[in-house]
Amino acid sequence: MKIAILSGKGGTGKTTLSVNLFSSLNKVTLIDADVEEPNSHLFLKGNTYHEEDINKQYPVVDHDLCTLCGKCGEFCNFNAIIPAKKKVLVFDDLCHDCGGCKLVCPTNAISYTDKAIGKIFYQSVGDNKQFLYGRLTVGEVSGVRIIEYLKNVTKKEEVLLIDSPPGTSCSTVAAIEGSDYCIIAAEPTPFGLSDMRMVVELLREQKLDFGVVVNKSNLGNDDIYKYLEEEGIELLENIDFREEFAKIIARGELLVDHSEYVRNIMNSIIKKVLGETYA
Amino acid sequence: MKIGICASDHTPESLVANRFARAPYFAVYNSETLDFAFFNNTAKDEGSGAGGKAVKVLGDLKVDIVLVPELGPKAIDALNAFEIKSYQYKQGKTVREALYEYFEKKLPEMLDASVKGKH
Repeated sequence: MKIAILSGKGGTGKTTLSVNLFSSLNKVTLIDADVEEPNSHLFLKGNTYHEEDINKQYPVVDHDLCTLCGKCGEFCNFNAIIPAKKKVLVFDDLCHDCGGCKLVCPTNAISYTDKAIGKIFYQSVGDNKQFLYGRLTVGEVSGVRIIEYLKNVTKKEEVLLIDSPPGTSCSTVAAIEGSDYCIIAAEPTPFGLSDMRMVVELLREQKLDFGVVVNKSNLGNDDIYKYLEEEGIELLENIDFREEFAKIIARGELLVDHSEYVRNIMNSIIKKVLGETYA
Repeated sequence: MKIGICASDHTPESLVANRFARAPYFAVYNSETLDFAFFNNTAKDEGSGAGGKAVKVLGDLKVDIVLVPELGPKAIDALNAFEIKSYQYKQGKTVREALYEYFEKKLPEMLDASVKGKH
């Protein structure tokens, strides 16, 4: 079972939920797919036993074959390849590695070459749990390749949690694609609700099942509950904001190690999402 | 010879634009016919890579020289590839004034990027 944790708005508790659910389960693998700013590893303090470079490909133009027809430049949505007067310019840092320019080139003048764009780290946590995270190199435009790699090497895991990037961009879509269930970490503020609506739209478009955990539920207003009811969306749990929780998180520690209240909530979420046998 | 100028609006009395690739219009002055023509800058709303695309727009307009406020590294590379020379104007001038200053050789040629990219 693959469960993605996502949010829309940042700072609503994706990582808090992910690492505390991870710690509440006996047999589970977690990937931190927020490769632009991974942070789950700060809480899990695992032991890195392996790391790998992840490459993207970008186009190289053979100017003996190129007729400067301009088709590659017309195709590219990111202005990464621009046919000029006597040669074709390639801005490899703008390239999203879609493969399109090679497909549209009528003279086969385009091939691809590799460029390292980041790394993935394999960690063991405790005796039998695995955690993987990716890190995109600063300046690179897209972490999708790294996220796809993380998901590919964990595709056979029985229970997989995916700490997803915020927002509704390509990275988020890559992280949640193929999930059996998604948990939205929401907060009851106007921004929280507004961004959550976009995530709901995305999940419905992707035809993925989902439920909501309202974090910091004693703050803000109750518009989010009205919205969930109107839309018929499952409310999995509420988690209060408490100053002591903020302190625990700021120290890089797990809420479940300190709070029975949070332990019970995590178990309740696990029962609802994974079933009794996992709790 | 055709001279491009980054313009905030579409008349010779409009102010020059304060951005290159995100300029609303490109004025193109034809030194043979002595005419101005104005074109929408179709690169201005690009999500990324507007610098290179804006140069492509100027290249397609057959511009030989462009007068600009600032240039990033990708725009410079692209200008070189399109063999377009660039000269830097000061803010607050009209399109016509910037053009006169170019003919009076008061504008410095840009050989390197004046700003870092990726903002």
